Amino acid sequence: MGDLFRSILNVISVIAIPGLIVVFLGWGFVKKVKVYEVFVEGAKDGFQTAVRIIPYLVAMLFAIGIFRASGAMDVLVTILSPVTSLVGMPAEALPMAFLRPLSGSGSLGLMTEIMKTHGPDSFLGVLVSTMYGSTETTFYVLAVYFGSVNIKNTRHALPAGLVADVFGMIGALVVCRILFGV
Amino acid sequence: MLNHVWISLLAIGILTAVGRDIADEINNPYRNGRSLDVIFVASAPASADRSAWQAELTVSGQAFAEFYNEPAPSSPVRQSVRLTIRDEGQRLILTPDAKAPELWLTMAKLGATKGQLLGTITELRWEAGVPAAARVEFEPIRFVKLRAVTQAALDFANTAVEISLGLIGIMALWLGLIKVAEAAGFVALLTRALRPITSWLFPDVPHDHPAVGAMIMNIAANMLGLSNAATPMGLKAMEELNKLNPKAGNATNAMCTFLAINTGGLILIPATAIAVRAASGSANPGIIIGTSIVGAGCATVAGVLAAKLMQRLPMFRVEEERHG
Repeated sequence: MGDLFRSILNVISVIAIPGLIVVFLGWGFVKKVKVYEVFVEGAKDGFQTAVRIIPYLVAMLFAIGIFRASGAMDVLVTILSPVTSLVGMPAEALPMAFLRPLSGSGSLGLMTEIMKTHGPDSFLGVLVSTMYGSTETTFYVLAVYFGSVNIKNTRHALPAGLVADVFGMIGALVVCRILFGV
Repeated sequence: MLNHVWISLLAIGILTAVGRDIADEINNPYRNGRSLDVIFVASAPASADRSAWQAELTVSGQAFAEFYNEPAPSSPVRQSVRLTIRDEGQRLILTPDAKAPELWLTMAKLGATKGQLLGTITELRWEAGVPAAARVEFEPIRFVKLRAVTQAALDFANTAVEISLGLIGIMALWLGLIKVAEAAGFVALLTRALRPITSWLFPDVPHDHPAVGAMIMNIAANMLGLSNAATPMGLKAMEELNKLNPKAGNATNAMCTFLAINTGGLILIPATAIAVRAASGSANPGIIIGTSIVGAGCATVAGVLAAKLMQRLPMFRVEEERHG
């Protein structure tokens, strides 16, 4: 069942992009849209949008870079691990929970490292890879999406995103404990 | 909120770096200003003017452990070094190899010359070919964390620009395709089909607005793991949502709900995590598909509910414009 699901999804991920190109352009052509002209008209915005993101992303990433390089994460983990171990979070997986919303490449490296030390099929290995798959890099998404439309006052988007991250991490922990628990 | 989190990240980062460097000054883990007893054995004939030798440096495991206050290495530390003996002083260059102690590898990485340890030799009693005792003081290593922080700030500023510029091509491609789909009425069709859900999620957005179509395409692309299509679609959605924004520069409720869905990251196949598991030799890399869907499901539902609840809080209200 799981394998069937996986192979279906694998096929989808391979054919999705060529499929979408064919559907979008083919449909347009049938509906007598001047496909080439309209395509170019839309693509024009690509450059401005990408360039508009730069200041927002610089602000976000350099702050995250300083935070990570200082080793503040280790201090945070030392302080908080007695608290989080009460809900059954292993101390080794705690840095993952903090790093996941901050940095995509950082949490990817951390996940790889933990699997190398503890083995990918150990409880910790399954837990950190589930945590990695359970949420997005909130700060990056926020900077890119709001940056593209010049929004500086992000209101409740960050707290809502962080609530999502906390629940994603707790959900990952609980489901891993139930299915593969020790 | 973002202001506070942002300044906290910076303040915590810099204060931690300062604190750690002060602790290093007190504990002196790299033994700045202190000399280690070593033994040299020449391993090749001297240069023509007898000012440079290639030699092997040996420190007993116990001496190394006592000097650095570290667990003793199982065998004596042996490294090949280059000695230069001139009138102005006797110096040594050590390029640590794979067998070097962890600490020396770290020190070499942190030193002024990347990958090398530079040292000053004192009390050298040298007779060619015979083991010679001497004392070595390595170059001082200071402000490790502050320098790392500086480097990170510059590196990440560059990374941000690289990421943004790297988006140009993909952005242009997908924005072009979406424009065609819009003109052909495909997006409107999609919007109509999912109207019951979208009208609950985004009550402020007219149900036939192009923003709805772009958001649906973004969420679908995210779920299928097509991240390089999802971002352009999401940014298109933001642009459309911003057309409905009564106050430029401030996020609308619909934008925050949309971002909560995006940061929840609901995905049917967590391809990156599976690939890393497979690469680290997992017997069953796909085992996390189910658990990830549960985790991301929790995140998404919690995020949307949080966004819906928080949008009414006074602290997140858009400030009224002040006149005069």
